[in-house]
Amino acid sequence: MPKTVSRLATWLIPFFLILVVHSVHGATEPGISILGEEPPEGFDPLTGERIISNERCLTCHGDEQMKTDVRDDGSEVKIFVHSKQIRESVHGELNCNSCHITIDRVPHRKAPAVIVGCLDCHRETWEEVKDDPDGKHERLKVVNESIDSYMQSIHAQPNSLDQSRTNATCYDCHEAHNVGELGSIQRAEKRLKNPEACGKCHEQQLEDYRTSVHGVAVLEQKDSESAVCSDCHTTHEIDSPETDKAKLAITKNCGDCHEEAQRTYFDSYHGQVHRLGYTNTAKCHDCHGSHKVKGEDDPTSEIHANNRLENCRVCHEDANENFLTFWPHGDADDRENYPGLWFFKLFMQTLIFSVMAFFWVHVLLWLYREVMDRLQGKGFIEDLDKPDIVYFRRFPVVWRWIHGLFAISTMTLILTGTTLLFAHTGWAKAVVVFLGGTEMEGIIHRTAAVIWLGIFFVHLMIAVTNIIREGKDFKWFGSTSMLPNWKDWSDLKGMFRWFIGKGERPQFSHWTYWQKFDYWAPFWGAGVIGISGIMLFAPEKTALILPGWMFNIATLVHAEEALLAAIFLNSVHFFNVHFRPERFPMSTTIFTGAIPFEEFRHDHREEYERLAATGEINNYLVRKPSRRADLAASFITTVLIMAGLALLTLVLIGLVTSPN
Amino acid sequence: MTEINRRDFIRFATVAGASLGFPQLALAANPKVVVVGGGVGGCTAAKYLRKLHPQTEVTLIETKKVYQSCFMSNEVLSGDRTLDSITFDYEGLKRHGVKVVIDRVDAIEPDKKQVVTQGGETFAYDACIVSPGVDFKWDAIEGYDEKVAEVVPHAWFAGPQTTTLRNQILAMPEGGKVIIVAPPNPYKCPPGPYERAAQIAMYCKHHKPKAKILILDPKDKFSKQGLFTQGWSKLYGFGTENSMIEWVGAAGGGTVEELDPSTMTLQAEIEEFQGDVINIIPPQKAGKVAFASDLAEGDWCPVNKLTFESSKHKDVYVLGDASSAAKMPKSAYAANSQAKVAAAAIVSRFNGIEPPDPTFVNTCYSILGEEHGISVAAVYTLDKSSNTILPIKGAGGLSPMNASDQQRKREVSYAHSWFANLIDDMMM
Amino acid sequence: MQREKMMKKKMPYLLLGLAVLFPATAAAAPTGQALAFTCAGCHGTDGSSVGPSSPSIAGMDPEVFIDAMQGYKFDERNSTIMNRIAKGYNDEQIKSMAWFFAKQTLRLKPQKYDAEMAKLGAKLHDEYCEKCHEDGGKPGDAGTLAGQWMPYLHYTMEDFIDGRREYPRKMRRKVDAAIEAEGDRAMPALIHYYGSQH
Repeated sequence: MPKTVSRLATWLIPFFLILVVHSVHGATEPGISILGEEPPEGFDPLTGERIISNERCLTCHGDEQMKTDVRDDGSEVKIFVHSKQIRESVHGELNCNSCHITIDRVPHRKAPAVIVGCLDCHRETWEEVKDDPDGKHERLKVVNESIDSYMQSIHAQPNSLDQSRTNATCYDCHEAHNVGELGSIQRAEKRLKNPEACGKCHEQQLEDYRTSVHGVAVLEQKDSESAVCSDCHTTHEIDSPETDKAKLAITKNCGDCHEEAQRTYFDSYHGQVHRLGYTNTAKCHDCHGSHKVKGEDDPTSEIHANNRLENCRVCHEDANENFLTFWPHGDADDRENYPGLWFFKLFMQTLIFSVMAFFWVHVLLWLYREVMDRLQGKGFIEDLDKPDIVYFRRFPVVWRWIHGLFAISTMTLILTGTTLLFAHTGWAKAVVVFLGGTEMEGIIHRTAAVIWLGIFFVHLMIAVTNIIREGKDFKWFGSTSMLPNWKDWSDLKGMFRWFIGKGERPQFSHWTYWQKFDYWAPFWGAGVIGISGIMLFAPEKTALILPGWMFNIATLVHAEEALLAAIFLNSVHFFNVHFRPERFPMSTTIFTGAIPFEEFRHDHREEYERLAATGEINNYLVRKPSRRADLAASFITTVLIMAGLALLTLVLIGLVTSPN
Repeated sequence: MTEINRRDFIRFATVAGASLGFPQLALAANPKVVVVGGGVGGCTAAKYLRKLHPQTEVTLIETKKVYQSCFMSNEVLSGDRTLDSITFDYEGLKRHGVKVVIDRVDAIEPDKKQVVTQGGETFAYDACIVSPGVDFKWDAIEGYDEKVAEVVPHAWFAGPQTTTLRNQILAMPEGGKVIIVAPPNPYKCPPGPYERAAQIAMYCKHHKPKAKILILDPKDKFSKQGLFTQGWSKLYGFGTENSMIEWVGAAGGGTVEELDPSTMTLQAEIEEFQGDVINIIPPQKAGKVAFASDLAEGDWCPVNKLTFESSKHKDVYVLGDASSAAKMPKSAYAANSQAKVAAAAIVSRFNGIEPPDPTFVNTCYSILGEEHGISVAAVYTLDKSSNTILPIKGAGGLSPMNASDQQRKREVSYAHSWFANLIDDMMM
Repeated sequence: MQREKMMKKKMPYLLLGLAVLFPATAAAAPTGQALAFTCAGCHGTDGSSVGPSSPSIAGMDPEVFIDAMQGYKFDERNSTIMNRIAKGYNDEQIKSMAWFFAKQTLRLKPQKYDAEMAKLGAKLHDEYCEKCHEDGGKPGDAGTLAGQWMPYLHYTMEDFIDGRREYPRKMRRKVDAAIEAEGDRAMPALIHYYGSQH
């Protein structure tokens, strides 16, 4: 064993010493020598490589008299380089062949392959200096980030005609010898030259751009504040404009200057879909033109009054004149320009605030009262040891189905609708992706809307039939009628008195006032949401009879009313039916159709007394629902409540995080 | 004790140095080198020693006051060049700080590490370079000796004999015959006899078109033979009946055994040859001083080819034609190349470091006509295991047989450059 | 003493280490200087040729030297003898010789030239040659023209024009233009101009 070790050591020590020699080597940095000869003057003593002075390069490349040369194949090539520019650029202290790494001697004997090692040099230099405490090289970090972006971009892809090169490389865009420091004149100049740089390849685009407001400002008026190519297309993350990524980026970038226009665009249906990450609706450049973007007064502008309809028809093939009165950037907060829109928004929000304010106060007071009563051992407390055996049949099968479908379709509508409204949220984007995109979501929303309206009309038919069947016996203001009456008014006042401890709990008839509200609210909702929804459902058809600005109003009220419904149903309705302590955690009556007898007697005392007095009550008494029915109803109710609460949460998240 | 002399100190220092692991002269301050012989080897070594190690005290001892180069001396025979144009003094070397002594050295004394001249001067040395060139074996051809050579010149050392031979050719009758007796291998300047034939022919072509030049050769083949015969054919009709040049090799009875100077008759192996002008280049061996100093083994001096230090005596270096430097030829360029290797080795020794690996080149031009030059070149490396200098495979070789006239013409010009630069490099 | 002992112990390891580090030089190869010394017989001591035709290589741009040697070595450049000699050296040896000669001072000898021709040559040089052969063709990255031996310049231009040697990039155009301008006098004029400098 020791023998092996010593033998091993004999072998290892020399190698170790080699390392030592190497490190000593490194420390003193002796020059290179070949067979005892050191490099001559003009050659790097360490590497033996030729040092080529920039002056030597400039004898040919700095000659003002001969700015071009002829290639071996006879074609002309520009060879002139502005030496002054280089010296003033960020690379001013470098040697020409620090970048032109294939040039190892001058005159270069072969036509040089233009290989400029931008990437490696910037990466390696950053690796070297990134820990420098003076922070002098912070900008290099940005450069490296740009490199990473570039490497992912379409420009870094192999050219489809010549795969040996990329579509574009650093020096195609950066004027190689004139890279200015931040804040330098070069950079301002570079902005102005940006369109020309891109136009070297994208010729048609440059021609188009020249005619645009941006192009005129930049190229003719030398206004470096106006948009150049990279402002819209990004500098390094450039993708083919055919990709969604590029379309989204470009549209977003318009907003860097046109903030108001972008805000109002994002509020429109076009913009909402866009914000969700989809590009199938109109984006800035779809209407304004991309490179040829011009003001609306310019007769060649795509948004000029004469061209606008044609413009709309690109997507809305059957668009008619009424489309022209649509306000694509309609702003409900802009009372001056869009008073109608402003009014509707004010109205809808007042409605929402007042309804919600009233009912949330109602809820809180009710909660307070019931809790106080319970603390005092009063009120209706279910005796869990002696569950009711007898139930009161409250809803026939048809109403139970109608309510179930109504709940599901409403929730579906809320979910699919609010993704647009809250397109800024992550959840909205996730939901849209889950549902298969905005178009699929649209289909689902419309399907749910048809079901919802269908149920609404079926219900109406049944209700009307019932009224007709009862004929003259139907008491419009009878106890089972949904029509509000004076008792509801006094019940409401009674409830508030009870809430504040100034009276007994009112004794309700078959329908309480809040149940009547829940019943009638959808009529209003169906009117507002339904009509606006139908208008938005088929814009071309709507426009046959209505002016375009109706879409703005329809979009607004549809959304606001939906919000109201979503919040109301999932908070107030849930409290009234399920969450108030007497009912907590839920009531399954709407699915079983039956209410425990004692509960009925407590909640609808007047009706009970009326039925008991006439003996009619026996017609309504049923057995406790089967265990299976009970479980099924509990399950469905639970699911719907959870779904409703989830929706409420999402909506509240959307509202709280809303940029507006 | 204060009288300790320099040599003792050096000896002490050498021993001390050797004990440290390197054969080192601790006294490297002003080492002394004596160079015996002022030809290409000696001069080049002297100059490069001063160049590589300026503190070296170099003394060059030469018998003649001027140097007359053997290379290009054939051009004197054709009249293309004067003897003056190949005569140089030693002022150039003196400018390099070499002490030049005109005197004769009979022998060096390796055991005493000194050189004593006939003039009675004694030169102590730390290293001695012996570069004596060649001497003739006078006994090889009966009837030919140093005295006869004054009328039947060898002209193998440039100088008075070159003039003699030139004059004899000028004096020769219209249809006269020149006989060149070539030596057996090895000898200095292997293509020399054949270039000489061409240079004489070049003269005769213009002035004595009916003259003949006969080469009697104890060898069956010779240096650059293919190129020579090609050039002779082209320029002088070689191979035709009217050829100006004729060559008789060993197989044809070209080996000369006897000279009768009174009848200008040569007895060769098979027949007798009579000539108007006879130029005998006798067989050769190392210069006299090599034998007198016990540096030779057989005809030549064996050396360690890493340093050109004599295999027989320490601190003595033998360069050029006298050394046995196979497979390098005995040429001026070879001596020049060897001298630099020796100088570097001696300086390494002074500095106490290992000598660098040697590298050698030989190039040799022959001018066959005004616009016809040919060359041979080789790059050599040392095979240490066999102590043999080997040409690098794939490199070197002869001018191509199919070279254009333009190439041949350029080689004449380059031959003149080669001459001028070689002289410049050795002594200017 | 302690230190010396340590050094002695370490020495073999260090040598081994160096051998591993520099395998090419492990065999104590001839130095660049030793290699360069062998050229002097034709190109003059340290590369300053005394003529009449073999070119000076002192102060020569090392890459031009390497190009020439590699060209000779692979028979890509016309020569009389250099193609045979260049084959005797590897890349490393050629580079070390290149560096050696680049560091030598070029010593020029005056040459006979025609002043009229040299004047014309100067004009042609400025117009067609100066950008690559800077400073009147002084030793530089495009080779050595100023003071170079005129026969050698003549051979070189002959080889270029007759197609025996490949022009460096763009040189043909310039040569053609110079000949276009001054006809058969152009090349001799340039050669006299370069020969006039020393």
